[in-house]
Amino acid sequence: MTKLVALLRRGALPILAVVTALLFGAIVIVITDFENLSRLGSDPLGAIGGAIGGVGSGYGAMLSGAFGDPGRILTALQSGSQKDIATAIRPLTETLVASSPLIFAGLGVAISFRAGMFNIGGDGQLIIGALGATTTAIALAGNAPAPVILVAAIIAGTVSGGLWGFVPGFLKARTGAHEVITTIMLNYVAAQVVLFGLRSDFLRAPGSGQPISKVLTTFVDVPSILSLPAIRLDYGFVVALVMAVIVSWLLFRTTKGYELRAAGFNMTAARYAGMSAGGSMMLAMFLSGALAGMGGSFMVIGTVGQLSNDLSGGIGFNAIALALLAGLRPSGVVLAALLFGALTTGGKLMGIQSGIPFDLLFFVQALVIMFVAAPGLVRTIWRIKTPPVEAEVAT
Amino acid sequence: MSAPATATHAAQGLAARRALRFARIRGVTFAALGLVLLYAAAGAFATPAVFSFWIDKQGGESAELQTTVGILWMVAGVASGAVGMLQLFRGTAFPWRRWLLVLMLPVLAALLAALLNGTSANLTGVLGGSLELAAPITMGALAGILSERSGMLNIAIEGKMLLGAAVASIVASVILNATGNPLLGALSGVAGAMLVGALVGLLLAWLGIRHKVDQIIAGTVINIGALGITNFLFLRVLGRNTELNTPPTIEPMRLPLLADIPVLGPILFSAKPYVYVAIILMLALTYMLFRTRWGLRLRASGEKPAAAGTVGVNVLAIRYRALLLAGLIAGLAGSYLSLSTAGSFQMGMSAGRGFIALAAMIFGAWHPIGAFGAALVFGFADTSQALLSILGVQVPPQLLNSVPYIVTIVVVAGVVGRVRGPAAAGQPYEQA
Repeated sequence: MTKLVALLRRGALPILAVVTALLFGAIVIVITDFENLSRLGSDPLGAIGGAIGGVGSGYGAMLSGAFGDPGRILTALQSGSQKDIATAIRPLTETLVASSPLIFAGLGVAISFRAGMFNIGGDGQLIIGALGATTTAIALAGNAPAPVILVAAIIAGTVSGGLWGFVPGFLKARTGAHEVITTIMLNYVAAQVVLFGLRSDFLRAPGSGQPISKVLTTFVDVPSILSLPAIRLDYGFVVALVMAVIVSWLLFRTTKGYELRAAGFNMTAARYAGMSAGGSMMLAMFLSGALAGMGGSFMVIGTVGQLSNDLSGGIGFNAIALALLAGLRPSGVVLAALLFGALTTGGKLMGIQSGIPFDLLFFVQALVIMFVAAPGLVRTIWRIKTPPVEAEVAT
Repeated sequence: MSAPATATHAAQGLAARRALRFARIRGVTFAALGLVLLYAAAGAFATPAVFSFWIDKQGGESAELQTTVGILWMVAGVASGAVGMLQLFRGTAFPWRRWLLVLMLPVLAALLAALLNGTSANLTGVLGGSLELAAPITMGALAGILSERSGMLNIAIEGKMLLGAAVASIVASVILNATGNPLLGALSGVAGAMLVGALVGLLLAWLGIRHKVDQIIAGTVINIGALGITNFLFLRVLGRNTELNTPPTIEPMRLPLLADIPVLGPILFSAKPYVYVAIILMLALTYMLFRTRWGLRLRASGEKPAAAGTVGVNVLAIRYRALLLAGLIAGLAGSYLSLSTAGSFQMGMSAGRGFIALAAMIFGAWHPIGAFGAALVFGFADTSQALLSILGVQVPPQLLNSVPYIVTIVVVAGVVGRVRGPAAAGQPYEQA
């Protein structure tokens, strides 16, 4: 029982942080609704109603976009028609599809933050990983059986993402260059590298004027979990869950993991204890980039099916928010990634149905990070007197 | 950005030896570079290098400067060799950073001539453009210098610039529509941008000082939040109401008399007002930081806040004020983007300039004048990129586009030696 209470207490702050951030998002939705606001003078009640309605329809679209309609799922399951079931559960599986790269990137961020490295280059590492996977898959197409291509592409993507992450780690360890600046600069460079790669006929989709690669899923595809039409959910999601277990084991059950956390906790102490702080930085950044790269690989040969320069769409930044929200615990990362996956999928429907741009979610995420990093703010807003369990925050 | 604090005697001896070793490595590198450049010169004496300059104004008469690529490479090579020798003789006392900036001039000129490969190019635009593009980077770097010298890491300059750009465009458009006065519109746009920059600066200070949020995390919050909110505004509001995103543009301003100086006038004195403001700010901050009581206290807060606090300096108040001032300057830099380049606000238009400004700050060793010099190099890289693509030089655009970012990484990594920033930057201070 006490354990349960402790668990609830620990969960209270992150949940309040998300709720508060969404409320602030609602305020932004209201004050940018000019047509409604202009009615405030003539018809104040109607304007307030319209404001609540606007937020309601926006967030409502987000909910149904993320989880679907329970009643519809039930009737579809009863009818037994594959097509109906697929359409009904699609929002739910799309949420899982969206959370899969978030789990990978979030685990990466958790590792690097635990080691005291503020890796904000997840976007670049993910897209370079995707480029590595795409190049390998296309190079091997027709020369090897599909399972071999699959494994080779994922390994190549993971390693390329890892190397892209290793560079800032190396620079920090050897020259003291701050990883925040180098990782963000490498994000810009990665975007240019991918654009450059997509110029070549080798990668680019034939006849396409857009920087977009050939479709990979015609010859290599991560197997699906459910054999239903139009359901993209595949075993990449399962691999993401397995990686969470592995990362948890690595961080808390191995010597290397202990050294990583020691370096993040107190670099000087770790150094005096004879640990190689620089080595920990480089290892953490390699693993962090490798996880993001693996996430990108599963996207191009699985759920998304091809490489484009906007493949990532801010996953690297989402990963920071959700990893901090999760208190840098791998299990928490999975939960937070599911939440953010739901926000992402729902946010897209919100954009289509109620014209509220998806980018609002970046603002909401920034607020989530702020509230998690400054627990005092949330306590002031909600008038919580006794501080619950102190939140663990990186660095 | 913060140097590891190792202050034991053994470490000091070690550090001195290390500094000497780095100095020798630098000297040899400069000398070797000189040899490489001389080698490049040997094969290039046949290629003409023709640069021209407008004498009085754009499109008027022009003066030509004719030489060969080989001679330019040779000058650069000899200069590099000389700097290398100086470095080897003077050891650690040699102010190599300053000399590296000076050395960049002939090297970049020769590189440009080699890339042009015989085509004549008018440099007035390139030089004026470098100066112009250096202005926002200089201002961003000055904002960084103010914050970090006071002991607060400030990676939120990018976000402040982006917000400043959005607010400047909206305010300027609204005032222009309401009054029909473009000058008033532009000025209020700039004022709005500075105000929002200052507010965000205070938010950063409040999160870092009052709530002791890690200053890097607080800065990241602002950067992501600024990107989200400006994208949101652009898509939801500005896209539908384009009259809110058609600000008056800030045009170049000819300084009387000075602008009539042949060759130099069109480059230096017919620039956009931002250039003059950036230079004035640079000089003013240099004086204020290093010649006034305020500056001494600010630097003390960033180096040893405990000592400053002991003699009665209100460290936290100084940090709040520094971030307020830094926010004003960063917002001003942001207004340049929407009011002076694109003529409207575009999503993500800061494109990493806030981080490039931080690199300029580091390369300038946290000194306003040094940061301006570094910003000029970034500005030159940016404009010559445009020049090369206009002249049809065959370099993939993606490669050219990455150059500023790669240079930033190289600078931050301090491949040619490490710089020491303010000792206490990034550490929260507990004031009694």
